[in-house]
Amino acid sequence: MNKRLLLICMLVVGMLPAVAQVQYGSNQYAVRMNIGYNHNTTYGSHAGFDFGAFMPINEHFEMQADIRVATTLTHSVGVQLRPKFAVPVGEFYIEDRLLSRVLARDGYCELVQALAVGYRMDYVSFQLGMSTRLILSVPYDWHDGSNIITEPFNVTYRLEVFVRPQTSPWNISLCASNMTDYQIERIWQPIFMANGRYNIDSHWQVNLSALCKPTGMFHLNAKYYGAEVRAGFAYAF
Amino acid sequence: MKKIIILLSTILLCACSPDTWNLDMIGLVSGSSAGIDERIEDSFRYNDEHGMPIIHANSEEYKVYVATDTHVDRTRTNWKQFINDYRADANCPLALHLGDLINAQNHWDYMFEPVSTLPTNPMKKDTLLVVAGNHDLYFNQWKEYLRLFKTSTYYAIVRTPSGKQDLYIFVDTGEGILGSKQTDWLKRTLTWADSQAFRHITVCTHTHLFKRDSSQGHTSNMPLEETYALLHLLKQHKVEMFWCGHDHSREITNLGSLTSIIVDALFDREPHPAYMIATCGDEPIRYQFINLPSNGN
Repeated sequence: MNKRLLLICMLVVGMLPAVAQVQYGSNQYAVRMNIGYNHNTTYGSHAGFDFGAFMPINEHFEMQADIRVATTLTHSVGVQLRPKFAVPVGEFYIEDRLLSRVLARDGYCELVQALAVGYRMDYVSFQLGMSTRLILSVPYDWHDGSNIITEPFNVTYRLEVFVRPQTSPWNISLCASNMTDYQIERIWQPIFMANGRYNIDSHWQVNLSALCKPTGMFHLNAKYYGAEVRAGFAYAF
Repeated sequence: MKKIIILLSTILLCACSPDTWNLDMIGLVSGSSAGIDERIEDSFRYNDEHGMPIIHANSEEYKVYVATDTHVDRTRTNWKQFINDYRADANCPLALHLGDLINAQNHWDYMFEPVSTLPTNPMKKDTLLVVAGNHDLYFNQWKEYLRLFKTSTYYAIVRTPSGKQDLYIFVDTGEGILGSKQTDWLKRTLTWADSQAFRHITVCTHTHLFKRDSSQGHTSNMPLEETYALLHLLKQHKVEMFWCGHDHSREITNLGSLTSIIVDALFDREPHPAYMIATCGDEPIRYQFINLPSNGN
């Protein structure tokens, strides 16, 4: 019964007008919604729903905000600030991200600040930076300093390759990174993604993405850990 | 063109050092040993047949010697020193190895030989308990590990003369996760432990949870979801100690009532090899580290 209910919810939410992968070069405000099916060996099967907004404030600055809720009671909210500078070919940018993830089921909350520099052009996007993570035990006892752990320095990276130019009405990309819009992992925990989008018209876009998260790659003993399939829509104003 | 060929050949030859051959690079894509759920079945099969070890301490306060990451290959100096030390200590009923016993294949018997031959203090009995690390799984070596150590997911109870009991739980994180079967077993074991009034509960494994000090670089650990789920379990059941290795550099983290200790590597070629001695009595567990000389390059 619960499974049937979950399936119906996924279908209903998946049909909501929604929205989108960030399309580099876009100067339209956009919102997006996605529904996803996830599995990992820690939580088993679960569903996630995310909502995001893309805000190209001006030609030198854009913002992105994301919220994700999941049936595992692991929710996240993040904001990305992206100053950008056009160069003769492509665009150079700086990305400052603040991500908060609440793992209500486990009684922990993490705050991650990530600062990166990146370069993107039609077929390739590359980003390298560092992150700082605070892990807080929830409920947090402000009188007990041992309820917080800081991992002050870690490396973030992202390499994405596109099959079509950014202006194309459709695109597919392959991406290796240790972060998504909803999680920032440690350096040795890569996440592999395949993303696709199709612009139905100048406003509507449909998205489909898949993600694979192995474990133990840099233990040199790689095995399956988790996967996700996400689908949704975007609306550009 | 000739210059390019010479340059490429030089790079390739440099890459062919003995240490390079010790890394199971195929494991970047797919680990060669059985996965965690299959390994758990092997461990449980042995546990079901032989039961869990019960160790008797000679006194109310006893010592546990803890080593990790010996990476035995062409030398084993520190490993032998560790065995000699714990066997000479009349108050040590238990020694632990937290994984990465060997560096790569073909060194199991060389590593195990001192365990089976070095003498122990005639006034006592001692036991060496081991959990598998990622290097122990390279090149499909889980079978070799099983041949010598039989299990990697189990618990041991140390009983003092007055009947007080301490619990040591060993979990296999050779690929950075516990897996669903092992997590279920750990939940059941910790729930059972709640009703047994153990004096201390310690969880021992190979892979570390956190890395706060970045000065020595980072090593791979668990996916974050797995980290938080395991932390929750440890906190929920009031586990006192979490002992691990893998990272090679010491780090002690307190999170609420839990103390997580990454024990230094005992690898001969490590710049600062060390092992830990934990003292377990009626008070919270105390620990100290014994530095050994670096042996070789």
